[in-house]
Amino acid sequence: MLSREEQNRCFVPVRRILDNEDLKLFKEGDAYKLIDSFICDLDEAVKDKPISASIPQSSSIEHVLNILDRVGEIKQENPAIDNMGSRFGNPAFQSFYDQVYIETPKLHQVFGIEHNAAMEAGRYFYESFGNRKRIDYGSGHELYFMSWLLILKQLGIFTKNDYPALVVRVFVKYVELMRSLQIFYTLEPAGSHGVWGLDDFHFLPFLFGAAQLVNHKYLRPKHVRDPEILEMCRADYMYLGYVYFLNKLKPSVSLRFHSPMIDDISAVKTWSKVNEGMIKMYRAEVLGKLPIMQHYLFGHLIPASPGMSPAPQDGDDSEVTHVHSHYADCCGIKIPSAISAAKNNGSRIPFD
Amino acid sequence: MSIDPANDSKLAPEANDATLGDVDRWIEQLKKCEPLSEADVEMLCDKAREVLCQENNVQPVRNPVTVCGDIHGQFHDLMELFKIGGDVPDMNYLFMGDYVDRGYHSVETVSLLVAMKLRYPNRITILRGNHESRQITQVYGFYDECLRKYGSANVWKHFTNLFDYFPLTALIEDRIFCLHGGLSPSIDSLDHVRTLDRVQEVPHEGPMCDLLWSDPDDRCGWGISPRGAGYTFGQDISETFNHANGLSLTARAHQLVMEGFNWAHDGDVVTIFSAPNYCYRCGNQAAILEVDDTMNQVFLQFDPAPREGEPVIARRTPDYFL
Repeated sequence: MLSREEQNRCFVPVRRILDNEDLKLFKEGDAYKLIDSFICDLDEAVKDKPISASIPQSSSIEHVLNILDRVGEIKQENPAIDNMGSRFGNPAFQSFYDQVYIETPKLHQVFGIEHNAAMEAGRYFYESFGNRKRIDYGSGHELYFMSWLLILKQLGIFTKNDYPALVVRVFVKYVELMRSLQIFYTLEPAGSHGVWGLDDFHFLPFLFGAAQLVNHKYLRPKHVRDPEILEMCRADYMYLGYVYFLNKLKPSVSLRFHSPMIDDISAVKTWSKVNEGMIKMYRAEVLGKLPIMQHYLFGHLIPASPGMSPAPQDGDDSEVTHVHSHYADCCGIKIPSAISAAKNNGSRIPFD
Repeated sequence: MSIDPANDSKLAPEANDATLGDVDRWIEQLKKCEPLSEADVEMLCDKAREVLCQENNVQPVRNPVTVCGDIHGQFHDLMELFKIGGDVPDMNYLFMGDYVDRGYHSVETVSLLVAMKLRYPNRITILRGNHESRQITQVYGFYDECLRKYGSANVWKHFTNLFDYFPLTALIEDRIFCLHGGLSPSIDSLDHVRTLDRVQEVPHEGPMCDLLWSDPDDRCGWGISPRGAGYTFGQDISETFNHANGLSLTARAHQLVMEGFNWAHDGDVVTIFSAPNYCYRCGNQAAILEVDDTMNQVFLQFDPAPREGEPVIARRTPDYFL
């Protein structure tokens, strides 16, 4: 467990990447190394581990799975409403989001961490289900979830022994939950590259999914074109499960047309090559892209690089002001003075 | 028809330059969803720039006209749109931007619309969307598509240079204001829009950015946009803007809506989205707005084009996996 003194230095994370210079500082800084090495370590940990494998499951993993179960219950408690006259996303998602937000402190009590640490972890958590205002979801939100796990690891909740379960139990459950939320609330794809990306919503199922298959005796990348193999193996391998799901979701055209990138990758000879490529692609297309990373959040445990822009006024925060009173202690939290002086001429690429 | 048919032939033949015959051939080829050669794209963009640079930031449009929203490279659905709404030049069209990114056929889509603009400049108006931008297209697909289909970024450069010349807004019979995104706290009159220098990359902030990025909102006043650019604006803002400028309606695109169109602000603002089953998964309808010669407005909704088999395309290993 991280020391109480260190935990008390935590604070609610905020956005600090506003322009290309900030993005450059991020890529050279500690936060990038923390995130990248965490993803790579998890990738290594799930090599050759089908979802049905017996793997150690600590009480911390149980706690996290229970938290995700509770989020699933909150979804059931906030049914989609008649959407006539709305744009695309269902406004009931906002009620869902608000309830997750309200329950976040309670959901973190099980870890026995200090208040400030729970506040820092909490924001990555409640933001990882989609944007309240836009009612959308994308790989940036997926990264918030991984950041939540990373922070819990830094707090000492997880050890490296937990890494296989963090992927084939926790992450798998998160993706299943997100799929149900995406459909239930008709979340809009945020920052989708359309057919030129892997998927409209997720990236990491392909990266971790390829790792699971690296030394498989029989399955080859070209087998993603085979519907029978997808049907047979989808429960055990995230990559195949996701392709199966996409084919079902987009029945009007073949894999070639709804996901030409995935189809192109199927010509790669080995899963090892696919896995290496996914890591390169994630670094370039998620961690290296300003439209996505400008929404990323920095706190004490995943720190902004020196010289990054001060935090902007955050519209998303003001949106939830009406439930702010439930965080009675929030106003007492020490916030770095850098945040108070918003940079007024930040140059940045807008999102979507 | 109030449009002078002689204008249809304003494109003058020149030596070693695109002729009417060339443009007709390009349109014919593009309608089969066959991309133009790089050399033809360069010629197309050069000639289109000459036409577009003469247009106003608030481009006047006569009725009758059919107003369209986002297309996002869904070429076959664009062809379905023309089936529903009628062909150019028989019908007049106004497209409110976002021709590229996401879909498989951004190249064919934007090439066709630009070629039609060149061939029938007074029958079709093409505005700029937030995706008609160098920075956005490098992230959301058009750049990748150009690399894949042409082997270099030259076609992407030709088009993104041309995008700077697209008009920002249009005004139908001085009554219906059309633009991609929405209003700006920096703009309270159409004359202000007319004074903007539009020939540039879409800036990250300011009035030109706002016109391409803003969204209407249920909350009153101006708000910070969760997109990170533009603003959200309330009913009070659009009511004031429409009244001050003698407008009956502001029509815009930019947002995915389930039924293809969505009214807001008590009839002052309408969103039109023209890419059905967006990303092959959203299950939404698309819509276009027909404004007839007496300013009556009718929405036509449509579903994705029926598929007629898929051409065989060779696999090419993405660079990350080499």
